[in-house]
Amino acid sequence: MLVVDQVTKRYGTTVAVDRASFTAVPGRILGLLGPNGAGKTTTIRMIAAILLPDEGRILFDGRPVGPWSQALMGYLPEERGLYRKLKVEEQLVYFGRLKGLPLMEARRRARAWLERFDLARWRHHKTEALSKGMQQKLQFVAAVQHQPRLLILDEPFSGLDPLNAELLKDIVLELKEAGRIILFASHRMEQVEQLCDDICLIARGRILLAGSLREVKQRFGRNTIVMEFDGDGAFLDALVQEGAIRLINRTNHRVELALCNGTPPRRVLEAALPHVRELYRFEVTEPPLTEIFKQVVGSQSVPATSTHG
Amino acid sequence: MDKIWIVLQSEFLRRVRTRMFLLTTLLAPILLLAMALLPALIGYLGSRDATRHLAVVDSTGVLLPRMQERAPATLRLEAVTLPLDSLQAAVRQGRFDGYLILPTGLVEGDATAELYAEKSLGLSFQSQVERLLNRAVRDLRLERLQVPPELVAALRTEVPLRQYRLSETGAEADGTVFFSIIGYLMGFIIYVATLTYGSLVMQGVIEEKSSRVVELIVSSVRPFQLLMGKVLGIGAMGLVQFVLWGLLLVAGAMAAGPIIAHFLDPQQLNLPANASTQELLQAANITLPPVDPLLIVWFVLFFLGGYLMYSSLFAAVGSAVEQQQDAQSLMLPLMLLIVIPILFITYVIENPDAPLSIGLSMFPFFSPILMIVRIAIGSATLWEAVLAYLLLAAGFLGAIWVSARIYRIGILSYGQKPSLRELLRWIRT
Repeated sequence: MLVVDQVTKRYGTTVAVDRASFTAVPGRILGLLGPNGAGKTTTIRMIAAILLPDEGRILFDGRPVGPWSQALMGYLPEERGLYRKLKVEEQLVYFGRLKGLPLMEARRRARAWLERFDLARWRHHKTEALSKGMQQKLQFVAAVQHQPRLLILDEPFSGLDPLNAELLKDIVLELKEAGRIILFASHRMEQVEQLCDDICLIARGRILLAGSLREVKQRFGRNTIVMEFDGDGAFLDALVQEGAIRLINRTNHRVELALCNGTPPRRVLEAALPHVRELYRFEVTEPPLTEIFKQVVGSQSVPATSTHG
Repeated sequence: MDKIWIVLQSEFLRRVRTRMFLLTTLLAPILLLAMALLPALIGYLGSRDATRHLAVVDSTGVLLPRMQERAPATLRLEAVTLPLDSLQAAVRQGRFDGYLILPTGLVEGDATAELYAEKSLGLSFQSQVERLLNRAVRDLRLERLQVPPELVAALRTEVPLRQYRLSETGAEADGTVFFSIIGYLMGFIIYVATLTYGSLVMQGVIEEKSSRVVELIVSSVRPFQLLMGKVLGIGAMGLVQFVLWGLLLVAGAMAAGPIIAHFLDPQQLNLPANASTQELLQAANITLPPVDPLLIVWFVLFFLGGYLMYSSLFAAVGSAVEQQQDAQSLMLPLMLLIVIPILFITYVIENPDAPLSIGLSMFPFFSPILMIVRIAIGSATLWEAVLAYLLLAAGFLGAIWVSARIYRIGILSYGQKPSLRELLRWIRT
């Protein structure tokens, strides 16, 4: 179990992370969400024992993290980077050995993983000869090849084509089944929604929201309607002007909206029926994560700026 | 500790395997040799084809034949009886390199010889003419005084002087000049090596940082381990290079003896035609004094000490920037520290026992270059060398400590380049 307990990190006078607390448990994927500059990377670096917290503690299996936990941890940083001049296999072997694998074992695993990622024939090429996507896969291998008990993935899918993204996702889910702790940092909400069991929302260094994805969504209630239809959507504008609904996402034939001021769902349906030619879908559901994110971060911004300004 | 070893191995191997390494290892001595020999070669070639042609107006009527008799092949002296202005014209036209006026009364010491030329003919040429002239005048005067030939010969005697150095094992051929050159070379090599390997370390740090791979590495090893592994790995590469150069040098020296002996004529050296190489070289006075193995040990030790100190500081500078170009201003203080001993190296060679020399050679930032010079010359006592090394050790430990503190923050800091003041803040936090 990974426990982040009241952790604070300052850079000079700015507070990058402010008394953050959350827990990640084996066999579940924890999504770390937040806008850019929210303190995600700093938090991750402290968990990875790259930075020391100024206050609070980070415990892995009850012990403060440090060099000992680094060996049990795999890390895919957001800013990707490899040694350009090193050969592909050599690079993996080096990283594996730094994680404590013996030379022969590191070699064996590097080859197995390169096979799995369809990179085997690049083994003896210099890394700079690889395409960006291939380098990305290589980095992922570097993060998982030593079978870490804690895996930290910072935007793992950025820059990957759908096929490779799928491959990565499969492996992540595999590791989850195998009981690893997985931290998944991203600002791509639909990915987080698909993959994560728990979420933790950070903005301006503070944890605004934490808990299981289902519970968080329930907390925000079933006040969202998804509609798919043919015909004139002008009835929506009338409802917005009344203050009955708020549009979340609107395209030609599809709309996501939030019910406001206790508007009952049937009110929307009644308004729609006289105007639309055909209705394919009408669903009352929980808000999408994006919406929760906007609400939480947005409401936070008002008091935060007023206390500073 | 084993992590430092893994980093060291990787840093060492990835450099030693390259074609670049092989090339620089082989080319460096050739380049050095070329740089050392080129001036001599140019001087030799230059003096050979420069035959000087002087017009001589000899009013004494007796000096010129004597001078011509002894003049070397490269100096042609031609008697002329032209008026001055046509002589000047002839020089301007290039028919002569200059003209020499030998007025009457010169032999008696009542006049001065004058040499005119359009451009400077060089100091050595002037003294050559001067020597020729003086010898002719002296011989003539001695003759006029009817000095017996034995006395003339006695006056001309030139006795060679050879210097020896006293050591525990007895008197050895003195190699003041030889050891000065060795000292100078050793100091200079340490200077070049520190600079070259130091900037390799810096380049490596900058590469790791700008490619962002460093974040992955420090999630596995402590920044200090990465720093030490890198510094030691590149240092090990440097040592290998030195050993290879050493072997080349020994092989070269062994090959040089027979080659030089080949060009020596046993008859000229009063040796039988079947004289051995050793005898030939000895007779021709081309043997080199033996080099104390302890000097080699000190050389390697001071190289390592200086390298450790400077390269860790170079690493600190590298960690603070993202591009090589940004490093310039931060490197300035370091460069000053490295260059100062080079400015003093000739002073120390000439005055190895002066208080300034002793003081400078004790200072950790200078001792790798200046103390090795003094040890080579034989001026430093053992305790001086040991004390300098202890100070150097304290210096490089301190430098590593300071560098590690800058490095651990620097490698993860992107964006604005920190000022020196900011670096000081990093050291303190």
